[in-house]
Amino acid sequence: MKLPRRDFLKLTAAGSGATAIGAKLAKPFFETAPPQERPRYTEQWLPTICLMCPGGCGILVRTVNGRAVKVEGNPLHPVNTGKVCPKANASLQVLYDPDRIRGPMRRVGERGAGEWQPIGWDEAISFVADRLATTRQKLGAPTLAFVSGRVRGQMAGVIERFLAAYGSPNHIQHDSLSVDGERIANELTFGHRTQLAYDWENCDFVLSFGRAFLEASRPTVRQIRAFGHMRRDRPNHRAKFVQIDTRFSITAAKADEWIPIRPGTDGALALGLANVIIAEGLYDADFVRKHTFGFEDWSDSSGVSHTGFRSHVLHNYHPVQVEALTEVPAETIVRLAREFAGTQPAIAAGGRGVSIHSNGLSNWMAIQSLNALVGSIEIPGGVMIQNRPPYAKWPELPSDPTAEARRNVPRIDAAGSSHFPFAGSVYQRLAQSILDSDPYPLTALFLYYTNPLFSSPDVGRLYEAIVKVPFIVSFSPFLDDSSALADLILPDHTFLERLQDDEIEPSTGYAVLGLRQPVVKPLFDTRDTGNVLIQIAHAMGGPMEAAFPWKDFSEIIQYRLSGLWASQRGSIRTSDFGHFWNELTSESVWHDAPYSFGQWGRVFGTPSGKFEFYSQALESRLIQLQGERGWDDWLDELGISARGDAVFMPHFEPPRFVGDEAEYPFYLNTYKLMTHAEGRGANSPWLQEMLGQHVKQRWKVWVEINPQTAERLGIAEDDWVWIESPLNERIKLHAVLYPGARPDTVNIPFEQGHRAYGRWAEGRGENPNWLIGSESDSLTGIAAWSATRVKVYKA
Amino acid sequence: MPRWGMVIDLDRCAACQACTAACRAENNVPFSGPEESEMGRAIFWHEVLSEVEGEYPNVRGSFIPRPCMHCENPPCVRVCPVGATYLSDEGLVLQRYERCIGCRYCMVACPYAARYFNWGAPDFPEGMQRYLNPDVPIRPKGIVEKCTFCNHRLPVPACNQACPANARTFGDLDDPDSVVSKLARSPRAFRLLEDLGTEPKVYYLREGA
Amino acid sequence: MEDREAVLFEPIEETGRGFYRALAILVPILAVAMLALGRQLVLGLKVTGLNRPVYWGMYITNFVFFIGISHAGTLVSAILRVFGAEWRRPITRMAEAITVFALILGTGSIMIDMGRPDRLLNILRYARFESPLVWDVTSVTIYLTASLTYLFLPLIPDLAILRDRPGLSAWRHWLYAKLSLGWTGTQKQKHRLERLISIMAVLIIPIAVSVHTVVSWVFAMTVQPMWHSTIFGPYFVIGAIFSGIATLIIVMALVRRAYRLHAYITPMHFSNLGLLLLIFSFLWAYFTFSEYLTEFYGNEPAGMRVLFAKLTEEFSPIFWAMWVFNFIVPFIVLSNRRTRTIAGTVIVSILVNVGMWLERFSIVVPTLTRPRLPTPDASYAPTWVEWSILVGSIAVFALLYILFSKVFPIISIWEVREGEEIAARQASPTHTAEAAAD
Ligand SMILES: Nc1nc2c(c(=O)[nH]1)N[C@H]1C(S)=C(S)[C@@H](COP(=O)(O)OP(=O)(O)OC[C@H]3O[C@@H](n4cnc5c(=O)[nH]c(N)nc54)[C@H](O)[C@@H]3O)O[C@H]1N2
Ligand SMILES: Nc1nc2c(c(=O)[nH]1)N[C@H]1C(S)=C(S)[C@@H](COP(=O)(O)OP(=O)(O)OC[C@H]3O[C@@H](n4cnc5c(=O)[nH]c(N)nc54)[C@H](O)[C@@H]3O)O[C@H]1N2
Ligand code: SF4
Ligand code: SF4
Ligand code: SF4
Ligand code: SF4
Ligand code: SF4
Ligand SMILES: [Mo]
Repeated sequence: MKLPRRDFLKLTAAGSGATAIGAKLAKPFFETAPPQERPRYTEQWLPTICLMCPGGCGILVRTVNGRAVKVEGNPLHPVNTGKVCPKANASLQVLYDPDRIRGPMRRVGERGAGEWQPIGWDEAISFVADRLATTRQKLGAPTLAFVSGRVRGQMAGVIERFLAAYGSPNHIQHDSLSVDGERIANELTFGHRTQLAYDWENCDFVLSFGRAFLEASRPTVRQIRAFGHMRRDRPNHRAKFVQIDTRFSITAAKADEWIPIRPGTDGALALGLANVIIAEGLYDADFVRKHTFGFEDWSDSSGVSHTGFRSHVLHNYHPVQVEALTEVPAETIVRLAREFAGTQPAIAAGGRGVSIHSNGLSNWMAIQSLNALVGSIEIPGGVMIQNRPPYAKWPELPSDPTAEARRNVPRIDAAGSSHFPFAGSVYQRLAQSILDSDPYPLTALFLYYTNPLFSSPDVGRLYEAIVKVPFIVSFSPFLDDSSALADLILPDHTFLERLQDDEIEPSTGYAVLGLRQPVVKPLFDTRDTGNVLIQIAHAMGGPMEAAFPWKDFSEIIQYRLSGLWASQRGSIRTSDFGHFWNELTSESVWHDAPYSFGQWGRVFGTPSGKFEFYSQALESRLIQLQGERGWDDWLDELGISARGDAVFMPHFEPPRFVGDEAEYPFYLNTYKLMTHAEGRGANSPWLQEMLGQHVKQRWKVWVEINPQTAERLGIAEDDWVWIESPLNERIKLHAVLYPGARPDTVNIPFEQGHRAYGRWAEGRGENPNWLIGSESDSLTGIAAWSATRVKVYKA
Repeated sequence: MPRWGMVIDLDRCAACQACTAACRAENNVPFSGPEESEMGRAIFWHEVLSEVEGEYPNVRGSFIPRPCMHCENPPCVRVCPVGATYLSDEGLVLQRYERCIGCRYCMVACPYAARYFNWGAPDFPEGMQRYLNPDVPIRPKGIVEKCTFCNHRLPVPACNQACPANARTFGDLDDPDSVVSKLARSPRAFRLLEDLGTEPKVYYLREGA
Repeated sequence: MEDREAVLFEPIEETGRGFYRALAILVPILAVAMLALGRQLVLGLKVTGLNRPVYWGMYITNFVFFIGISHAGTLVSAILRVFGAEWRRPITRMAEAITVFALILGTGSIMIDMGRPDRLLNILRYARFESPLVWDVTSVTIYLTASLTYLFLPLIPDLAILRDRPGLSAWRHWLYAKLSLGWTGTQKQKHRLERLISIMAVLIIPIAVSVHTVVSWVFAMTVQPMWHSTIFGPYFVIGAIFSGIATLIIVMALVRRAYRLHAYITPMHFSNLGLLLLIFSFLWAYFTFSEYLTEFYGNEPAGMRVLFAKLTEEFSPIFWAMWVFNFIVPFIVLSNRRTRTIAGTVIVSILVNVGMWLERFSIVVPTLTRPRLPTPDASYAPTWVEWSILVGSIAVFALLYILFSKVFPIISIWEVREGEEIAARQASPTHTAEAAAD
């Protein structure tokens, strides 16, 4: 149900009316505040955008005398339609976290000794400005790296502009830890480097590969809502949900069927399904003919003949072959293929689980090929191409030859180079780059909304590296693991205290833009990092100042969003921008008209203008970067074992693992809990206290071990066990005997083990990232999180 | 006079615990910290009960969101020596915090373990008092508390308001046309520990087609 | 005769080294218990090992246990009185005093268990008679009043004896004069007193039975597995008398030794009570067996979880220790005349008391650890606070008992005299005829 947006204000008013009536009905004599004595207060429900996770939900924050006391969903927001997940309310404990940093601070003692001195904002800003100005003058290379995590809305643009004006290509985003694999696979098959949207509401069959559909995968609230809808909102019509996962997740438990797959083999499974679909003629021949490229055998313009996807799959991925790779029984593969192709519309949806392997790209491409086979693209109940809001263009940067030269040098993380041809960022490469000064030494590191000393693989090595950087600035409002080693902390407002736009990718297919607004006055002497960057640029003067012809971040947002107003589309249309802005601030969300299907002109951005079973972009990029190498050597260098046309088609690439099977018999899988707000929920007692509901664990880290395996290892429930990895690191955790763990895999939730962040986050246990090797998918630069083997023994 | 009841559709429910979190925020439920939690003293007016059983790969999981059942025939009320817990005219089982002597007999009698005791004084560390809801009193040490069906904000309990799966419905069971009473009559409907005769007013809808 | 009786007045008239030695042991124990209690009052019940779902633990166990022990007393003495067992005379007072002090501790345990002891009076202000806890309050109050009366009535002639005894300090004289209510020992007074005592003896039996029945109903009235049992009433009463007798035996032995009452309390007393204990051991075993067999045979899942918690899981040490202490050892020792000695019965009685405490514990706790709906693994380990309060309660009992015996004759002097007279009369046939003519 969608409320007409004009009713919004009425609705909030009714909400508070109901509260007042409710108060009168409260019968018991209250000990602390009897109703008649209850203080009068002023109540407001203020709309803003949640940022406990990147889901982008619209929320209403109830404030009482200016204090935030409750979070509910904003019914006008099309992504979450008035609903929230558990993390949203925990944001109150983020805002009122007693361990927040209260103002800018400068390190006075040894690095990491925890001795800080408060410093004024003006002083801090001119300090940074001077320091940046001198290095820019003195040194020849772009020595600044800006490492970022949750950059939302215009923040990405501000950071990039800041770096461009300064002369550095090094905006290192955490997306290589996260979802870039999916984006790149989509780029190669659909021609759009984005996460795709799905029309769950109209779908009848969901085949979810490593997508924590009900726990994490975004936008989470929309997915949970859709899950309920698919099952029960359509009379006599209940979608089937199949979860393919290496562990029995909550999603797997709630699904109609769980397929416990062997880690890193999702590509093979998808191709096995494709094999049955093709062999039995179950595919959508019409769609394949019209909208795909490379299905049948073909010859290119120079007359070279190529194997098509059909023969490739029929030849290599018979269910029996696939069973051997995936441990999914051949009969199950045949049955699932028939169900998937026989139910319309059906979606095959990948998740992070399939891309966090050395073969992630090819796994994803294989899953997308299933959607193409059954024609589940651009139809109701299928895959949609996420639209973006029509922003006003950034103005050109002022000309500055020094900066221009520097921003075009190779990136420090080797993204986009022959090491990682498609990568946008390779966050996990940072340690090596710093230690080897490769390709140049780093003299300044800015940390924004990310915590590399907690969230990266091989954290130990990053600790060694990061102390070598002479100047580290953190913008975090929390003294997290990484900020603890910073030289200067310029604390940001928390998200309930600041203004920021928030484009939601992926969301509903049509563009949705939320406006995050302060719901309370900033508690402490903090400043919006957007403003701080502008202030630093202004303090540096010259081309830096000229690059930011705006007073503050709010002006930038208004400038960029003026494009939405100018487009005269979507939910807010007004005669002038002033009114547009007013309405936007009162509703906190702008969205376009519902997705209209069948706009084939924009669906595929590939060279062929079709879904590419055979990725021409992949082919041309590899040829472009091949250089002097021989072809086979080049493929070996990239870790690609396939040869011939298969290289450019979805195929099964055997995953590489860190550690050999004999010594390290277990796959290590780290996963996200619903109660996990990336690393940022760890200091919320509420989230800690309801952490792992499926295993009844709270306030700690644990390792899930299959009960038979545990018995073999002499491990009992709640024993302390060591998990040791080939990095020569080991961590001690509580064992949880979990029948939903594969006998060859141990699962550790990724949330805990902060060495710093606050009183409740610290001392909770160990972080599995000390164990995880820094293996990557070399094509996408994605961290291969699930590619480390471990051994387990009783402590 | 309405007779309030709730229906929770387990086929929709995603075991996300948004309900639990919303309840804690709405009702000023204190957190207990790692040690007390480990002791089993955390207070949850609402909790998602979970059980994962079986042998790999044949594993089953069940997740049951559990507020107070607001039993029509509440064993907790029957045993309370001082009437500190009572069944209201609208069918809510409520607490008189100022009267409770903390004997915990009601807890022992409740087959749903839906009641919680303040083993110590509630703790809202530095600054965290600021998120307290002025409509709901803070409970002192030594007394019992539990889900009130959000009687201060009828008819939209906080847990239902949050539920992203739209799995929860609330309303008047006596009104034959209300959504709750219709759902409560569904062939998928059942109640927890029905054979104990407590007549819960929280109904569940079975999972599966 | 005067010579022989001197020993009965000794505890009142003299205070020896033993008294101070006892105090030296009891006072530190009490100090620790007070500290524990103080801590609990300030911080709340979080200082205990209680939790969710083990809402009740040691304090409730103590409550049931002490109320059980209180049956020693009054019930034993009343039954023996009603059946005119002559050998009862030197031990009735001892038994009745146990009742009163045990009841005080039982009530105290409940108060210590309350989250809000400051709201104690709410029980009177808002009493809801539907609650078994209110039945309990009522019956315990009646029982306490009745047993105090029942302790007091036979004290009156002794108080008069003391009032008339020369050489006692002024406050004692005043106290005994007030309390003896003008007793002069006239035939009329005697007659009235004896009537009152026999009425009380008859009355107190149902009251005592009702008290422990009601205590059992606190559990049985819930629907919780292994509590919801129809035989809980008699089962609890049997257990109560069982532990009551055991306590009486222990107290007898201690008092006999401390005050050198060998002439009054004889091996015969121990042997007789030992036999009684054996009978109750059988009854206890019978009830326990029926209770568990029924549960086992019914095979109801919730009940089975509790049953196996006791039979084979974490509570099995307690459960089997309880069988050894309450049945195996008593059976072996007491069924044999040669081992039914003072030492033998005392050892058995100590074990029976431990066993009965464990029995109470294994009724209260295991059920709570196995709730019907899944909750995180429940366990319960009492803390030092709870242990101190248990040990402290026993110390309070001892202290009250010692103080009582310093103020009041611990053996009913006039009844013993009366008994001796009867015995003497029985020895000469004329007196028998005389007595029959009365
Ligand atoms: N509650 C919550 N929601 C979140 C976040 C959060 O922290 N908390 N974070 C947000 C972020 S940053 C992201 S990137 C998204 C990520 O959301 P998802 O894309 O859903 O990724 P993960 O949660 O990492 O889930 C990975 C799943 O893949 C499984 N898996 C691991 N290896 C394999 C494999 O080889 N094959 C298969 N089939 N499965 C495998 C894991 O067991 C796990 O269930 O979630 C977002 N939403
Ligand atoms: N083993 C394992 N590791 C993983 C994953 C996994 O599944 N398994 N998941 C990966 C994924 S998908 C991701 S996205 C990353 C996430 O990892 P990160 O990018 O490190 O994100 P967070 O852990 O949320 O850390 C964000 C930091 O931002 C700071 N911060 C908090 N609030 C604010 C604010 O309001 N303003 C500013 N300026 N800063 C703030 C805090 O200091 C916090 O430490 O982790 C990755 N790491
Ligand atoms: S899904 Fe993410 S954005 Fe939405 S309410 Fe939850 S935490 Fe906030
Ligand atoms: S669920 Fe428990 S607390 Fe709620 S009414 Fe029923 S018996 Fe009482
Ligand atoms: S704990 Fe309070 S509400 Fe519960 S039975 Fe005792 S007095 Fe009544
Ligand atoms: S009805 Fe209100 S009090 Fe009860 S569980 Fe839901 S939110 Fe909590
Ligand atoms: S909020 Fe809704 S979906 Fe989530 S656990 Fe509660 S009932 Fe289930
Ligand atoms: Mo992520």
